[in-house]
Amino acid sequence: MTFRRDRSVRRAKVRPPETGHFFSNIAAIAYKETAALRHDQAFLAVVLVQPIVMMLMFGFALSNEPANVPWAVLDHSRTEASRRFLDAVQSTGYFLAPQPVTSYDDGRALLKRGRVVAFVVVPADFRRAAERGQARVQLLLDGTDPISAARVGGYISAVGASFTTRRAPPPDRAPASPPLALRQRFVFNPTLRDRDFFLAALGGMLLTNLCLSATCLSIVGERENGTFEYMLASPTTPIEIVLGKLMPYVAISYGVLVLTLVATGLVFGIWPSGSLLALAVVTLPFVLASLSIGAFVSTLAATSAQAVFISVFFILPSFVLSGSMISYQLMPPGVREVGALMPLRWYQIAQREIIERGAGLGDVLVPVLALCAMFGVMLLLIRWRMQPRLG
Amino acid sequence: MSWQRLVTLMRREARATLRDPFTLVILIAVPLAALLMFGFTLSTKVQDLAVGVRDESQTPASRRLLADLRANGDFRLHLFRSREAIDRALTSGRISAALIIPPTFDRALREGTPGAAAAEVQLLYDGAETVVAGNMEASLRGMIVSSVAELTAADGEEAGSASPSVGVAVMPRVLFNPTLDGIPYMVAGTFGFVLTFLTTLITAVSIVNERLQGTFEQLQVTPATSLEIFLGKVLPLGGVFAVDVVLMVVAAGLVMHVWPHGSALFFVAVSSFYVLTSLALGLIISATSATAAEAVQKTVLTSIPLVQLSGFAFPLRNMPLAVQWLAQLFPATHYIRVSRAIYLRGAGPIDLLPELVMLAVFGALLVAVALRSIEVRS
Repeated sequence: MTFRRDRSVRRAKVRPPETGHFFSNIAAIAYKETAALRHDQAFLAVVLVQPIVMMLMFGFALSNEPANVPWAVLDHSRTEASRRFLDAVQSTGYFLAPQPVTSYDDGRALLKRGRVVAFVVVPADFRRAAERGQARVQLLLDGTDPISAARVGGYISAVGASFTTRRAPPPDRAPASPPLALRQRFVFNPTLRDRDFFLAALGGMLLTNLCLSATCLSIVGERENGTFEYMLASPTTPIEIVLGKLMPYVAISYGVLVLTLVATGLVFGIWPSGSLLALAVVTLPFVLASLSIGAFVSTLAATSAQAVFISVFFILPSFVLSGSMISYQLMPPGVREVGALMPLRWYQIAQREIIERGAGLGDVLVPVLALCAMFGVMLLLIRWRMQPRLG
Repeated sequence: MSWQRLVTLMRREARATLRDPFTLVILIAVPLAALLMFGFTLSTKVQDLAVGVRDESQTPASRRLLADLRANGDFRLHLFRSREAIDRALTSGRISAALIIPPTFDRALREGTPGAAAAEVQLLYDGAETVVAGNMEASLRGMIVSSVAELTAADGEEAGSASPSVGVAVMPRVLFNPTLDGIPYMVAGTFGFVLTFLTTLITAVSIVNERLQGTFEQLQVTPATSLEIFLGKVLPLGGVFAVDVVLMVVAAGLVMHVWPHGSALFFVAVSSFYVLTSLALGLIISATSATAAEAVQKTVLTSIPLVQLSGFAFPLRNMPLAVQWLAQLFPATHYIRVSRAIYLRGAGPIDLLPELVMLAVFGALLVAVALRSIEVRS
C-alpha cells in the first residue's frame, strides 16, 4: 500500500506538466468531442443543409446585374423613329415592357413611388432632329440604388450611341476611323457573371459560420453543464482542452469544403481552376484561426446565448467587410483595413486566386502567412484568458 | 384585459431587460456598428485601385497617356517589365486591371490615316471581382479614349473634325441621389436589417431563457391572458427599439449626413409598427425552440435568407421570378422598400399604400400566430 502510494506521488512530481502528454491529451479530448458531436442531430443537419441552401441562394438568386427593370415612357414624338428607338432599348433584354404615361408629372410620380427606375422622355421634334443628326431624349433615373441607376443609364446611353437615325450613312464623308482601338477583355470571367464571384467565396463564408458558432457553443455549453470543470480537474491543461475540442471541427470543415466544391461543380459547372493542394493548404490555418476565435469568444461569454450573440456579430461583419459578398477594393480606406483583421478576408483572397484565377501554391503565400499569424495571436489570447479561470 | 396587469407585466419586462448590461450593450452598439459598417460598403466609385502597366512603346505619347491616368488620382499605376509578370499579378489579385501599350502605339497615332490600323491599346480586367471590373471598365475606358483624343488633337492633325453624330444623345438626369452616392441606400436598408435581425434575436433568446428558468410558466398560470403576456413582453422591447430607430436616424444624420427626405415622424411610426411584427416573429421562434442556442441558430438561419433576399444588399428585381415571389412573403422586403422610399425619395403614406397594407397584413398575421403559440403551451 505504502509502496504504491509512494510511486504514484513520485510520478506525479517527476512528470512535466505540459510537454509529455501534450498530443495524447489533445487526441483524447478530440475523441470525446467527436463522440459527442455524432449524437448531435441538429448540428449535423445544419452542417449538411446550410451549404446547399447558401449555394443555391448565391448561385441563382443574388446578382448585381440589372434585370426586369421597370421603366416609363413619355413619347411626344409618336413617330416610327421614336418607336424604333424605344424598341431598341427594350431589346437589350434588361427591361420590362415600358409603361406609357401621358404627362411628365405622371412619370415623375411613378419614379417617386418607386414603380419605375427609369423614365424616358422623347421630345416632339425627335424625328426632325434625327434627320439633322441631333436627336436627343431625356432620361430620368431613380438614383436610390446607385449601382442599378448607373448601369441602367449606361445601357440606355449605349443604345442611343449606336442608334442610326438616318436611313443611310452620309455619302459625302468617309467614316472617320477612330484614333484608337481599345481591345478590352475580362480575364477569368469573360461575361462578368456575379455567380462566379459569389460562389468562389462561398466555402469561406460557410466555414466562418460553422467554426465560430460551433466551437464557442460547445465550450460554453460544457461550462454551463459543469463538464468543463471536470476536464480541468483531469491532468489536461486548458490549451490542450481547447485544441482537442477544435480537432473534430477541422475534419468537419474539410468535409464541408469538399461538399461545397462538388455541389458547386455539379450544379453550376464551376470547378476550381487552380491547385487543389493550395486550397487544402490555405484552408488549414484559416479553419484553425476561425476556430480559435470561436474558442476565444467562449471565454468572454457567460452563457451560450451570449456566446452566440458575440459570434453572430463577428460573423456578419466578416461576411460584409471581408470582400466575400462585396468587393473590398471598393470600400473606403479605413473600412478596408478593418476587414484585413478578419481571417475571412485572407481566405477569400486565396479562394478567388485558386478557384477563379487558377493560382498555385506559390501565389497564396501571403494569405497563408497572414492566417498563421492570426492563429498564433488567438492562441496567445486564449492562454491569457484561460489562465485566471484555473485558480 | 386589465390595464393594471399589463402595466405590471411591462414594468417587469423593462426591469429584466435593463438589468442585463450585455443586452443593453447589444441594443445600443449593434445598430450603430451596423450603420457604420453597411453605410460605407457600397460604392460605385473607383478609388485607389491598382492598375498594372506594360509600356512597350516608351515614347512621349505613351508616357503622356500614363501621366494623364496618374493625374486622375483614382488609380495606382504599377509598371511591369513583361507580359508574364502582368499575368501573374492579375492572378494573385495584386492588380485589378492591366493596360498594355504596344510598340506601334506612337506610330499608329501619328499616322492616323483613315482606314489604316488605329493605335491599339489592350486593357485586361480581373473578371473575378465582377463589380470592380464593371466599375473600372466604365471609368478607365472613358479616360483613355479622351486622353488619346487630346493627344491626337495636340498633334494638330484633323483636330477639329468632330465625327458626325449619328446616334441619339441621351441626356440622363439622376433624381433623389444625383451623385449616385451609395451611403443613403445602405443606411436606409440597414434599418431593415437591424429591425429584422436584432429584434427577432433578442425576443427569441429572452423568452427561451425565461422558459428554461420556468418564469414563463409562472406567468402563464397567473390570471394574465395571453394577449397581456404578449403585450407585456413586446411593448417594452418595442419601446427600446423605437428609441433605437431615433438613435440611428440621428447618428446617420450627424455622422454620415444622411437625413430622411420624407417625414421623419412617418418613418419612426412605420418602423415602430414593423418592430412589433419582428418581435412577434421572435416569439414564434422561441415557442418552437428548446434551448437558447437552438433559438439563436434558428433565428440566424431564417435571417440569412431574410436579409439576402429582401433586397437589402441586392436588388430584388435582378432575381429570378420565383425568388421574387418568395421574397414578397418576407415582411422585411416591404419594410426595406418603405424605408428607402421615405429616406431617399421623400415618399408619403399615399405613395406607399400597397407596401403599408402588406406590412399591416403581415403584422396582424404574425401577432395572431404568436398569441396562439403562447396559448398552446399553457
